[in-house]
Amino acid sequence: MTSYSESEAVAEDFREALEDVNTNDRHEISNLTLIARENTEHALAISGALVDHIKRIAPHKKLPSLYVLDSIVKNVGTPYTLFFGRKLYHTFMDAYAMVDMGTRRKMDEMLKTWKEPVPGSIDTRPVFPPDVVRPIENALIKVRTTALQQHQAHMKSQQQLLGRGRPTAQGMPYRETPTPPGARPPPQAHGYQLPNHSTNGMSYGQPTQPLPPNYQSHPNMPFPSRSTPQPMPSSSAFQPPPVGGYGMSQAGISTGSLNDDIQRLITAFKAQIAQAPHDPTIQTRLKALVDLQTILQTQNLPQDQLVLVKNQISDLAVTIRASPAQPPTPIPKAQPVAVAPPPPAAAPKVSLDSLFGSGALAALMARSSSTPQVSTPQPPPATVATRSPPPQRAEPQKAAAATPDPMALMNMLRQAGMLPPPTPAVATTPVPISTPVPVPTPSLPFPIPLPIPGATMGNQSRRPVTMETFTGDIALKASSLKQFRPQLLPFLFEAQGPQCTQCGRRFARDEKGKRKKTAHMDWHFKVNQRIAEAEKRGQHRSWLVDEVDWINTRETIDKDHAGHPGDSDAASGGSASKAAKVEYIPVPDDAALAASVCPICQDRFETRWLDDAQEFVWADAMKVGERIYHASCHREATKDGGNTPMVFARSTPEPVLGKRKAEQDELSSVRGKMKTEFA
Amino acid sequence: MSIPGLGQIAPTAVQTTTSAAVSPTTTQSLEPFWEYRFEVAHGSTLNIKLVSGTAEKDGTELAPSTPYAFTATKTRINTWHGCTLEISSEPGAVYDAYTSEPTADETPMVSYVNLHFKLDGLRATAERTGQMGPRVLVIGPPNSGKTSLVRMLTGWATRVGRQPLVVNADCREGMLALPGTLSAAVFATIIDPTSEWGSTPSSGPSPVPVKLPLAYYYGMASPDDNPRFFKRLLSRLAVASTSRLTEDPGVKTSGMLIDSGGVNAKGGYDHIAHIVAEFSVNIVLVVGSERVGSEMQKRFAGQQTSLGETITVVGLDKSGGVVERDAGFMQQVREAAIREYFFGSSKTTLSPFTQQMDFAALSMWKVNQAPTASDEDSYSEAIEKAEPSLMMQNCTLAVMYATVHDTAETIRDSNVMGFVYVAEVDEKRRKLKVLAPVSARLGDRPLLWGSWPEPMVSLVG
Repeated sequence: MTSYSESEAVAEDFREALEDVNTNDRHEISNLTLIARENTEHALAISGALVDHIKRIAPHKKLPSLYVLDSIVKNVGTPYTLFFGRKLYHTFMDAYAMVDMGTRRKMDEMLKTWKEPVPGSIDTRPVFPPDVVRPIENALIKVRTTALQQHQAHMKSQQQLLGRGRPTAQGMPYRETPTPPGARPPPQAHGYQLPNHSTNGMSYGQPTQPLPPNYQSHPNMPFPSRSTPQPMPSSSAFQPPPVGGYGMSQAGISTGSLNDDIQRLITAFKAQIAQAPHDPTIQTRLKALVDLQTILQTQNLPQDQLVLVKNQISDLAVTIRASPAQPPTPIPKAQPVAVAPPPPAAAPKVSLDSLFGSGALAALMARSSSTPQVSTPQPPPATVATRSPPPQRAEPQKAAAATPDPMALMNMLRQAGMLPPPTPAVATTPVPISTPVPVPTPSLPFPIPLPIPGATMGNQSRRPVTMETFTGDIALKASSLKQFRPQLLPFLFEAQGPQCTQCGRRFARDEKGKRKKTAHMDWHFKVNQRIAEAEKRGQHRSWLVDEVDWINTRETIDKDHAGHPGDSDAASGGSASKAAKVEYIPVPDDAALAASVCPICQDRFETRWLDDAQEFVWADAMKVGERIYHASCHREATKDGGNTPMVFARSTPEPVLGKRKAEQDELSSVRGKMKTEFA
Repeated sequence: MSIPGLGQIAPTAVQTTTSAAVSPTTTQSLEPFWEYRFEVAHGSTLNIKLVSGTAEKDGTELAPSTPYAFTATKTRINTWHGCTLEISSEPGAVYDAYTSEPTADETPMVSYVNLHFKLDGLRATAERTGQMGPRVLVIGPPNSGKTSLVRMLTGWATRVGRQPLVVNADCREGMLALPGTLSAAVFATIIDPTSEWGSTPSSGPSPVPVKLPLAYYYGMASPDDNPRFFKRLLSRLAVASTSRLTEDPGVKTSGMLIDSGGVNAKGGYDHIAHIVAEFSVNIVLVVGSERVGSEMQKRFAGQQTSLGETITVVGLDKSGGVVERDAGFMQQVREAAIREYFFGSSKTTLSPFTQQMDFAALSMWKVNQAPTASDEDSYSEAIEKAEPSLMMQNCTLAVMYATVHDTAETIRDSNVMGFVYVAEVDEKRRKLKVLAPVSARLGDRPLLWGSWPEPMVSLVG
């Protein structure tokens, strides 16, 4: 049952917004700072999200996120300084260890400013108290000295090991891995680093470059030793285990980052599918992963289970790296097998059934409650009792509605060959299943989800299963429509991602969904701001548009992402200044005036719905005294040049009438030409 | 306080009838497939907050922990996974509520949601092949839940990223426009759950994205009042809708959802056939009447759309929650719609403008009833020039996208720009006082005067 607490939701939003901070974009950073400022009551969650993010993100993206932290502590201050301060040493040093020299210099500078009061502030205290900053400084001094001493030795050893010299702090860890990187597109490859951070110290670097064993056994080793020659994919070594060490344990494992790890694995699996489209094993695994992801997204698992899941996931990450596109062999681990051999239903076969996850899943689910695993307390039988009859009817998918007990899922993953058998400790320790959130309603849990066509399966080279496949068995007949198909429901709910806390709309967890969500949250933010203003001003109903305009209108959702496809990176900085120049006036309410034409070119004005202003406007129009001119005409006429009409027209912000915008480009340039010719 | 339509429903399933007098805040737990059905009187407000689980109102999912204020409505909230709702009202608020507790076997919601998935499958096919998405017409007897079904299918479609074009072919009720109009709008964003269809653009921002309708003015309560005019407007609407559909790729694959007025078993299928033909409808949903269903089955058997698809007729059960909305309630709904058009809702207050106009400056046309008109002559007189008179007092007039110089035909076929309300007619001084949404003079826009929605006495003063 989805019951994010508000803090979690805010943190989740924040985290998603962070995903978009890839450059040192002042706008983005100040935006995030603003969010932090407005949500100080959720400071703990937000700071947690940010710290997590910095830890998680690829080295070359760490700096912008650190700047966000910097901006928040300087502009908002407490309580953020408190929360960040606790983990600052870790956050800072872990990042420092992974980034290149240029970034390190920037970080040094940043650190310096933390020792001082905020510039321009009346508060004379430093940004962070000395006892927070000093350990970092000390560590850095040691790093520098030891690094100097050992640099050469390190280079040598690296050259011996890798056959080439690479500076320690440079480069992307994944390049060091055996898999040819060309096998997958780079953006996905980024994801492969992530399991590096897994708590059990597994990392992709291992196959080529095993870490000194004692290294992992002493994760709390004092920092200086970290500067010892160390092949780069070493972040895991810097990370304390989930328990103990620098107070990180409070943070524990965030479901968010776990989700991301899974998401990346899913992507990896999909890449495998692309390579071996007909390998059913991979498909089965992928499906199980997606299921696991959904469980994570929809339920609050206790920490100990998260740890479990996380460990397994990172093991899996190693497998997939080790044997890409190979029929997966279960990871050989010498633990006693507590699980019965996979039931026949788990035998992977590509059929509608297995795609639905019904047959296989059902069998697995059933199994998990009858195997010795029963020592695991099952969710209260109430859930079963209140379940409504239909799922138990003669439908093939009946058990698909069974309780998604996390343990059962783990078993399922195991049996699909995705996970090693459970460690004895796991198998026997009764895991406290307070999990399916204690909702007062005894209710039907989410049905087992499916691979999601649009959200998770989409955007792949290979065309994935779509709604067509899933709905193929529905006939437009009363009898067929009456059958309850629980396996389809997730398409309206969890498969769409988590909800916007303001309006309930769901956004997918993939990149595209995140971008949409950011745009959406911006929209809410702006609208809420404008509502306050508008209330003072008084507002009135607008006239409707005429037929032709209506036909040419295109719906805008949260105003943009369809709108400026090209300019997201190039113009995000520039568009603000450009937009300021855009000239439009609200369509005059006076009907006589509304029929007026530009006195210069005698053309009418173009009416548009401007989403930004939430009203109908005349684009490229300006009022001079009592008369309305085309802004471009007027500019031409008064020769205050600089901006050609072309340039102007392009910077018109509203995406509403994309098509007409192009026409206007032509029109205004033609108009411009005519005038120059006649001048 | 006696509120028409309240207190006369018997709980179908069992369980509580929440009384407003008892406690201002209650918690209601729903199991999967259950529905919380409620009626709120005009002037009362019921606040509902989703505490846990998931819940929908007409296909639009409620946001967690967000209070929704319902007023003047008869509706329900349903859940697929179970949920807990927190329900509160001010003391003295008049509402009636109960929970319906069907199983998956019993609730027609299962059919409805399957229908959505099927339609979405068809949309996916359309997307892949570059064809038009499904055009769906919903028909049925009055009070069978047609509009709710259309709204549900719309809500679900927008949730999965579709942009269906929704058409209201029911002149008795308005969609994003006042009653008496036929309208269409593309829904790409969520519908405010506390409203019928959401709101239309105003000069200020809206917390829920606005919808932009295209509306034609019919000005009568029944298609039979002037069948030729009605069909003519439907054709206009179909042309515009189809243009939008073909030019807007997102809309094209999503197809259309068409709501129609009630049909009775005796007949009146004529304009249904007209809609099917004009909008190239390929799926006809018949809600709550096997008889109408079988008649439709016969009528469209073997027929094809203009695109060469077969026309499928599907019979659906009506929801047990559908209640008779009696004439008094419906009139209140219409008046609320007029009030909201000019003054806004509780969320957004709008300020209309009063203006004086000379009779001489007005171009006023009256919509004529012509129930049996079949020849071209009487049809062209669907509207005729009218002199402002006391008869118009308290009426709502449509402002047309045309000029005074246009012919009657052009004016008749134009779409609606907005509405004005006649607050006062001074026949001696030949002046008219109207309430208009915007401050400016109406200039040379012709005004159309019909009998629907009926005069509303209490709007101003």
